[in-house]
Formats: sequence, C-alpha cells, structure tokens
Amino acid sequence: MTAATTNARLEAPGDDVLGPLEAHARHIRRLIVRLAATPAGCHLGGSLSLVELLVALLGRVMKINPSAPGWEGRDHLILSKGHAAAGLYAALSEFGFFDSEELIQRYNAEGSRFTGHVNAKVPGVDFSTGSLGHGLGLGTGLALGYRLKDLPNRVYVICGDGEMGEGSNWEALQVASHQRLSNLTVIIDRNGGQNDGPTESILTQAALADRLLMFGFEALEVDGHDLQALCQALEAPATGTAPRAIIAKTQKGAGVPLFKGKGPHYAVFSPEQLRRALLSMGETP
Amino acid sequence: MNDTQTGGADLASAPEAWLRENPKLSNRQIFRHALARFAEQDPRLVLLEADLGGGGDPFEARHKGRYFNLGICEATMLDMACGMAHVGHVVFAHTFAPFGAMRACEQVRLAMAYPRANVKLVCDYGGVSGAFFGPTHHAIEDLAILRAMPGMTVFSPADGLETILATREMIQYDGPVYMRLGRNRVSRLEEPREGFALGRALCLREGTGVGLIAHGEVGVSVALEAARLLEGQGVSARVVNLHTLKPLDEAAILETAERTRLLVTVEEHNILGGLGGAVCETVCTHGPARQVLRIGIQDRYDPLAGSHESLLRGHGLEGAAVAERILVTLSRPQEPSLKPV
Repeated sequence: MTAATTNARLEAPGDDVLGPLEAHARHIRRLIVRLAATPAGCHLGGSLSLVELLVALLGRVMKINPSAPGWEGRDHLILSKGHAAAGLYAALSEFGFFDSEELIQRYNAEGSRFTGHVNAKVPGVDFSTGSLGHGLGLGTGLALGYRLKDLPNRVYVICGDGEMGEGSNWEALQVASHQRLSNLTVIIDRNGGQNDGPTESILTQAALADRLLMFGFEALEVDGHDLQALCQALEAPATGTAPRAIIAKTQKGAGVPLFKGKGPHYAVFSPEQLRRALLSMGETP
Repeated sequence: MNDTQTGGADLASAPEAWLRENPKLSNRQIFRHALARFAEQDPRLVLLEADLGGGGDPFEARHKGRYFNLGICEATMLDMACGMAHVGHVVFAHTFAPFGAMRACEQVRLAMAYPRANVKLVCDYGGVSGAFFGPTHHAIEDLAILRAMPGMTVFSPADGLETILATREMIQYDGPVYMRLGRNRVSRLEEPREGFALGRALCLREGTGVGLIAHGEVGVSVALEAARLLEGQGVSARVVNLHTLKPLDEAAILETAERTRLLVTVEEHNILGGLGGAVCETVCTHGPARQVLRIGIQDRYDPLAGSHESLLRGHGLEGAAVAERILVTLSRPQEPSLKPV
C-alpha cells in the first residue's frame, strides 16, 4: 500500500499569491533567528522546519481574525509540538496577532506570556502545548465539538515526527478516523530529528503516510517547504468523510544556509552567531 | 440499569421521591439517570465514554447524538473533552477511577485543571469498591493526585441524594470537577441535606467528645455507625460530611477541632494525601493542637480477592473497629507535646 502523493486537484496558487507568502516566510524566519539570540534561546531547528506550514495555514488556508483572535467563525491551529513556540509566536506576530517587537522584548522574559512552550495566554493560541501527544486529542475534540454543533470551522493540528512516538496520538487518530472527522487535518512536520538525535536512529517513523492511510486518513506526502504544494494539499476538497493527514517533509533549521540542512534542536545565539545566521540568509544583521 | 421505574416521580423536581421509587440503585446508576434527566433541559451536555458505558445507559438511550463511546482510550477521551468544552459543550467523561485519575493523569492536569476546562470527570470504582477485580481496578491514590491539581473541584457523594444534587450543581458550575463514585453499594442517608453545596461541609450530627470528619459513601456511613456505637459508650461524636475535598471547607474542620477533643478522618482512600492529609494540613496550618486519627486504606495494595466489605474490614474501615480505636485513643493519656499549654 502506498500513500497518494499530491496531485493537482485544485488550481495551484499563482505567483501573485506565492510572492507575498514567501515574504511572510522570510520575515518569520528572521524573527525566529532573532528569538534564538534572546537570553533563553529557543527550539530553533524545529521552529524553522515548520515555517512554510504556518505560512500556508495562517496566511492562506485558515479563516482567522487577528484583531479578534477568539472570533467564533475562526479555524483552529494547534501546535502539538509546542516546543516550536518560537516558530508559532513569530508567525502569529507576522500575521498581526501582536507586535513583533513585543515578542522580541518579552520572549521568555519575567512575567511574560511568551513562555518557552506554547502558551494559551498568547493571542491566537487556544491550548497550551509542549507536553507531547496532546494536540491531536484536543483537536479531535474540537472537530467533534464543531460537528456536533453543525458548524463549518476547521481544525489543523501540527505534530512532530518524533512526537508520533507518543501512544496518545495513535489513540486520537483512531477516534478521529472512526468518527469521520473530515473537518480535521493533521500535519506532521517530518524533519527527521528529535531531542536526542535523528528520529530514524531512535524510533523510526518510516512509512508514516502508509500507517496513516491504514488508520483511515486521507494521507498525502508533500515537500514541507514548497508553499504551492502545501496550499494545494491543504485546500484540496475532501474526497469523503475521512480526516486528512499531510506528511510534510522538512529540514530542521531550514532557510538558514549556515546550518547546511542540520539545524540545532535548541540554540542560544551569541550576537556573532546571530550576525552570521542572518548574513547567510541574505538578511541585514 | 434495569431496576428503574419510569413514569413516577421526577428526578429533577422531586429527587427524594424519585430515590424512594428506585431504592436499589447505586450512586453510579443514579448519576446516569440524573445526567440523562438534566440533559433534557440542557442541550450543552455531552457524555463521553471509553468503553465502560456498561450498556443500557439512560443518557445514551435518550440523547444518542450527544453520547460518544470513543473506545478504550481514556487519555484521548480527556484531551477530547477539553477540545469539546472549548466549543461550548458541557462535557462529562466517565471511566473507572484508576483509569481516569491515573492512566489519564496528565490529560486531567493539562486538559482539565490547567485551562480550567468545563469538563466533569466522573469515575466509579473509587477506593477498593472494585474489590475482587484486584488492585488494577482499585483507586486508593486518586483523591491525593486530583487534590494536588490547582483549580480542580474534588467531590464524592455520601449517597444517592448527594449524587443528584452534585450532578445538578456540576452542570451549573463552569469549571473542572472530579466526582468519585463507588461501584455497587446502595447508599441512602436519612440525615437532611439542607443547604447542600459543593465546597461546603455538612454537619450530620453534633457532639463534643470526638469529631469524625468523613468523605464519600463508605467514609460517611462508617463514621455515622461509629458515632452511634460511641454514643452507647457515653462518648458523644460530631460527624461532618466533608464531601468536597477541594475546595476544602477549612472552617468546618477547624470548628470541629475546637468543639471536640479528638479528630478522626474516615475515607476509602489511602490515609496519605486524601482526606486525612487535608485535615492534618489544616489543623497544623491553623494551629489548634489536636491529634488526628486517620482511618482509611493503610498505605498498602490488596492483591488478594475479597468482597468490598471484607477489604474494607481489613483496613479497619467499619463502624465497630473505628469506635474501638477511638475509645482506645481517648483513654490513652495524651502525649505532653500535644497538651494545650
């Protein structure tokens, strides 16, 4: 059994759309790298790997209202891999939920809501995450809750590939599939790394797409840094009642050439490291 | 679930009459009828199960669209409960106490307590009521665990009436609640329950010699029986039903300490961390020099088969044994350090 790869079921977004989205991705990456240079640093590699996922979702696919984050008509994004808080905070500020300078100044500061793992006190965040293996259950509940109310809101959950070692994810996948929650999309940030090293050497997550397909999901594999492919995969109309899973192949530390595709799991940058990282990205330090 | 009359008294408006018409129902069965009844007026109510619905649930029968048996996945059930509550549903999730409080402990912490989610975790098989099913199905640590979570309400009804009253109040209260039930025991107290409210202890009996503070249907019935036996021995006993362990009615504990010579806690839970722990913390914090005799599960598991009653007896959880311990303690000269100066 082989999972389907992306096919053009929907007209791909054109350059007029992709250009601005790519600009958003650049801004978010610059912000994430600056967050790594704050005193506490950040989970850098896994924040950089999901930038395009966040841009495709928040910048195009999802219904959101940054000036009224709790708007009833909104779609939900749950970052289950809550250690990538720097990535999510940077993206939320880029899309107008709060000011980016506030984020830089207050990130991990005393008394700040910008904690090192995702905090529900941050505008645009529904659930505090970081203990792995909860986002899919929360998202499955949201999706069931909306369906019970006959509302069209959609739920997107981003999990890490290492995070799929948590058994609770597989519980939630079974339930979402059995309950036919087609308003739920799970995106797995397949960056191949986890805290202690390469995912494949610790607990293999090979054949994720096939496993998800067998769990009853509509499973797609895409290049997680290809905004066009991501938008297509996310926006493709449902073919039935199955929830959707997208395995996004990504790189830890993507977009910062300095890392040569092997970004660190966690980093606390010195001013000099920040300068070199930004220069390698073609940014002005 | 087959012992229920239908068409008689209305559970919601006349709970006492309804209970008289259904004399054989345990608290966990009563809870199901109460939830089904209250759901008729409240479309927000949802019931989640993890394959322990038991079949024939009145909520399932009457509100099928709001009843979800999710399969054997307690952890996901509680994360999902939080997600559903986020959209405005009032979510009841049911399983056995060891699975709700311990298997899914982190989900309870992060999906109920921390976000103060409007989720009610209702668990039967509290204490050793699972009896011969063995320690995998006992919960002697759940109250200690749940009580340590900020923002949780932790409650055990003393009988059928309290089960109904608390279920109604939990629905009205916007926040996380743990309601702990037993298994098949049928409990009906004669004492009036005027002024019942979560978080407010009820004095069931006045007395000055000894202050029995009890929690749950076993704790309260054992305490009342011990009080009756003590009365025959010339010792008057105050009995307080501390049905809510959190928020804790400290005033009721301190009042009992001041009015009596000895405090006794009675609970179907480990003597560590539950009611016994809560009462000791309170008297130590606020200073009345009172010895606290802790009656409960004696910090050990029960690996051998036995009826609920025989397991309780093994821990001294019966009226006569409690009365005996109290008489011995009262007759013993108090330690110098415990004497009020």
